[in-house]
Amino acid sequence: MSIGIDSDASSGVHPGPDPGQDVATWSPYVERGGEPFDALYAQLRPQCKSLIAEYEQKRSALIPLAQLFQQHEGYVSANAIAAIASLVGETAATVEATISFYSLLYRRPVGKYMVQICRNLPCMLNGADELMAHARRKLGIDHLETTPDGIFSYEEVECLAACDRAPCGQVNLEFVYDLTPQTFDALIGALEDGSSPIAPLAQTRRPGRTWKVEQDTGRKSPGALGVSNPNNAGGIGDPSGRAMFDLIVGRPEYEQRSDERLLRETTLRVEPSENGH
Amino acid sequence: MAGLVTPVLTAGIGERNLCDIEVYREEGGYEQLRRAVLEMKPKDVSDICTASNLRGRGGAGFPTARKWSFLPNNGSPRYMVCNCDEAEPGTFKDHMLLEQTPHQIIEGILLGAYAIGCDHAFIYIRGEFKRGYEIMRDALEQARAAGFVGENMFGSGKNIAFTIHRGAGAYICGEETGLLNSLEGRRGEPRLKPPFPAVKGLYGEPTVVNNVETLAYIPHIMRNGAAWFAKVGPERSPGFKIVSISGHVVKPGNYEVAMGTTIRQLIWDCAGGLRPGRSFRGVQPGGGSSACLFEEHLDVPYDFDSVTKAGSMLGSGAMVVFDDTTDFVKAAYALIRFFSHESCGQCTPCREGGHWIQRTLERLLSGGGLDSDIDVIKSAAHQLTGLNLCALGDSIEPFLASVITRYEDQFRAYVPKAAVTS
Repeated sequence: MSIGIDSDASSGVHPGPDPGQDVATWSPYVERGGEPFDALYAQLRPQCKSLIAEYEQKRSALIPLAQLFQQHEGYVSANAIAAIASLVGETAATVEATISFYSLLYRRPVGKYMVQICRNLPCMLNGADELMAHARRKLGIDHLETTPDGIFSYEEVECLAACDRAPCGQVNLEFVYDLTPQTFDALIGALEDGSSPIAPLAQTRRPGRTWKVEQDTGRKSPGALGVSNPNNAGGIGDPSGRAMFDLIVGRPEYEQRSDERLLRETTLRVEPSENGH
Repeated sequence: MAGLVTPVLTAGIGERNLCDIEVYREEGGYEQLRRAVLEMKPKDVSDICTASNLRGRGGAGFPTARKWSFLPNNGSPRYMVCNCDEAEPGTFKDHMLLEQTPHQIIEGILLGAYAIGCDHAFIYIRGEFKRGYEIMRDALEQARAAGFVGENMFGSGKNIAFTIHRGAGAYICGEETGLLNSLEGRRGEPRLKPPFPAVKGLYGEPTVVNNVETLAYIPHIMRNGAAWFAKVGPERSPGFKIVSISGHVVKPGNYEVAMGTTIRQLIWDCAGGLRPGRSFRGVQPGGGSSACLFEEHLDVPYDFDSVTKAGSMLGSGAMVVFDDTTDFVKAAYALIRFFSHESCGQCTPCREGGHWIQRTLERLLSGGGLDSDIDVIKSAAHQLTGLNLCALGDSIEPFLASVITRYEDQFRAYVPKAAVTS
């Protein structure tokens, strides 16, 4: 499934063949190395070594190393993954599999300001839903998206441990408290005109619409509704997860139908969920 | 209120700059560590903790010294890991301690490390606490420069290395084996237990994982004596506790009180009660994983055993208060979405169950629910508990089950009339 992002050889993700391209001529090879990264790597090497020296085993430095490269490149690039792999003595696949677990490690470029608003219970009780709706309108983007100019990325996140000053959020991991639509507008204004003390993130490549890759947008299985890719999950004989759900909720009319028909209906009826969750 | 709040860990916060090692030392900071390293045997320190009956403040409430006693005496290296991956919905005590009193945490960690006889201590700080990480890093530099940490502590010839490790965004890394996997540079997926970390933890060696608040109490227990701590509150769950109160209260915040203070006192006398004209509907006494308690539970003493007896748990000490404006369907949805999002995906009941309940609630909230959905949610919720590697899967059910039983009418009200069967 295309997720509307430019193919980006150093995003940490194989871009795959272009739409319409002959698969037989496509190679999964991704270019590694290159002048700018070589210089950065040479510059960061002493820091990398001292991070590794903090631990009894090299692999423990994997996440701190990814954070270090992200701090300089804005995201964990394929070059960084290759570099980390050689530093900690693991394969690039292992490194990528590890960093993909963590929501603060970005495998694709993000905006200069990562705006996050807490959507969890204590913030919700204090008006986070209205604030998030306002933030989406104000920025003109959805959850997990970046503005076309590459300035703002927006994410609705889980509890940030500042519930006494709800609703709260973070911009580039700096806390912002007691948010209202008015203070949110003021915050965005200050970031835009440079009067905010919050420093922008490094940005070495232009971000796409989202920084998430397909498999980690939060949908671990299709669950009851809204599967966007029927091949993606489900169980044996129930690729969409729909059949089991409908049986469970007790709609006997579904029991009479064939799997094929059910799947066809499910595929037709499904609408992608609004925000990727 | 003045009589209820008893600042111990929170003493001086907002008044003095406790991030400065000199300010911290003026109040006797690092004196207990000096005394332990120079004058005491490790066993003396753990004996004091045993006598104080200190129980873990991270969620499970396990007696701290007993946890230490499980370490095998086989000569292998040991590790002390301080868990500062605070992410339980409603909890914000470690966040405050980290940013306001980093030296207290360092001293507590080193005392714990000394007590168990380890020579490398770690603190795992949640990735979102960037500011807290920087503050802790500065504090550690000061302590290193003063010769309190690292090699030849206080000139004693003893060494305890100290590493600050920053996470990268995953609630599950607060689970101790998930945390250890993350600290080893792996995906933060919890491990099968047993073996428990005390036997096979970090790098396969005996490891103790303790919460920030737990360890921070140790210098105070050392200074004032085990009896001082043990005689506060109920005998089996003594001492003080920082309670994070949020939600529909006038003055949300962290309140450090004696264990056994009632929930009513905490909400009305500490946190200023509900907003004017509002009435009480419920309180979650121990973070997002705990079952909701109601009016009849207001006089329950806030300590590990009493809250458990009332049908919930004290957990991390986070109270979320609900007034009559609360939509419990949305509240349950916010928490279910959280657990579904944060499930690491190893265990089917947690990965699928949480997600399915989330989608069912989503459908209910969007007006497409069925009458039978309520029963599905009820039955599905009960099929998640006890079937997972870690407690995350078990945490999905309690709040949902408690509010759907109590406020079933709110859930039913979301079912469109046309969809009501029979």
